[in-house]
Amino acid sequence: MAVEQDPHTKQNTTGHEWDGIKELDTPVPKILTWSYILTLFFGILYWVLYPAFPGVSNFTRGLFDYSSRSAVMNDVAVASKTKETNEAELLSKDLTDLAQDASIKHKYMNSAAILYKDNCSVCHGPDLKGQTNFPNLADHHWLWSGDLSEIETTIKYGINSGHDEERTAEMLGFGTSEALTFNEINQVTQYVLSLSGKTTNDALAKKGQSIFNEQCASCHGEKGEGGLEVGAPSLTDKSWIYGGSQQAIKDTITKGRKGVMPAWEHRLSPFDIRKLTLFLKWKQDDARAQ
Amino acid sequence: MPKLHQKLERNSIGFTLLILCVASIGGLIEIAPLFTIENTIEKVEGMRPYTPLEQAGRDIYVREGCYACHSQMIRTLRSDIERYGHFSLAAESMYDHPFQWGSKRTGPDLARIGGKYSDTWHVAHLKAPRKVVPGSIMPGYGFLAQQDLKIEHLSDRLKALSRTGVPYSQKQIQDAKTDAQNQADSEAENEDELIEKYGEKLNIRDFDGNPDRLTEMDALVAYLQMLGTLVDPKKTLKRKDC
Repeated sequence: MAVEQDPHTKQNTTGHEWDGIKELDTPVPKILTWSYILTLFFGILYWVLYPAFPGVSNFTRGLFDYSSRSAVMNDVAVASKTKETNEAELLSKDLTDLAQDASIKHKYMNSAAILYKDNCSVCHGPDLKGQTNFPNLADHHWLWSGDLSEIETTIKYGINSGHDEERTAEMLGFGTSEALTFNEINQVTQYVLSLSGKTTNDALAKKGQSIFNEQCASCHGEKGEGGLEVGAPSLTDKSWIYGGSQQAIKDTITKGRKGVMPAWEHRLSPFDIRKLTLFLKWKQDDARAQ
Repeated sequence: MPKLHQKLERNSIGFTLLILCVASIGGLIEIAPLFTIENTIEKVEGMRPYTPLEQAGRDIYVREGCYACHSQMIRTLRSDIERYGHFSLAAESMYDHPFQWGSKRTGPDLARIGGKYSDTWHVAHLKAPRKVVPGSIMPGYGFLAQQDLKIEHLSDRLKALSRTGVPYSQKQIQDAKTDAQNQADSEAENEDELIEKYGEKLNIRDFDGNPDRLTEMDALVAYLQMLGTLVDPKKTLKRKDC
């Protein structure tokens, strides 16, 4: 029951003995003791320097006054400043001039393609060709003239988007509002089909024409060429947003349509919106060149 | 030191008291901040409890396990902010039970998905994700459009939430069922009543493209379309670090 030195290790024993078994009193390695003390001091130092502990009305902010929020907002501000300087030309020049400038296209085509993929392609498709309910952007048929500044406006404020500056467009439901009877809708459908040269029932189409002139022409134009100001699509161009089959057209006339394009003003910077506008134009030019 | 420790060890009551003292320091550090938590969470303008329809959509979101792939927490990282928008604020999930924060994403973050795409897109995407996003690995949820939304229990649901601290009024709890029906019906002529109860930032329309039925799709899309639209962080944050 006494502390004694072990002859092999030269280490003292603990002084305890159980059934003849004694235990060495080897101290904890120095490195562990010291790292324990060091982490303790690091903890205290960190507490003093950085935000650490909640108080009664606020939390301790630390001597460095660091905040991950201001740090990241600073990062964002620096990045957008750099962008503003590097891409100043995008906003200072006219859209039509930019669209024709090959160096601009070379500089921005890739980043614009990424923007398109991230934000637009889920509706309008990776190839810009759209899909049912979402218009084709590659086919030269535009709802609001296709003028570059008009395209930019559409991206910025959207269509039926709820934005204060939104474009509004609505195709009324002539069946649900009972403005037209079932037979009349059939007749107009035949006439609309004939506008884009589809084989139809001529007799019905002829009857449909007068209804069309009365009910539809004010938006879609007398020849179905579409109205630019109201966003009514052309019916003569074989390009359909909601499908061009007889059934789809009948559905559209019966129930109406009110497509939504979201507004991007609050999500994308003016630079990015401009890049996307140019991207659409460049893609169309490329397609035409092939 | 060893001598002192030996002495203490042999005094069991004194030693017990000392252990208690040391352990309570740890407890105090963990518990004390909770007493002042009301003061340390910043207040923001625009937060409101979920409408019954949105809450029903949220419950479907949780039921279907959307959280397994989608987080609702935009972190204070530049990459996150540039892709998803302003970082999330604690107060934006103050009425969430359970919250949808997360650090693992298979799909994109949804904290500010509201208004990014149209209802039509959400419905098409939920029905057949790969049809609109080639390469997506999200499963389809087309059955939501076939299932009628169960609205009978919505009052109880709101009542349960109000017990956890969500400030639903008696009237809101009572009218939960009709409010849910009316929010998904653009023809219903009590928009004003809904706005009075839940504020201006409210989407009132048919969400799933099928005005004749109130489906689970209506509820889920209503929920998705309001995510992140209530608070304008830039306007509401007045602290110097924002």
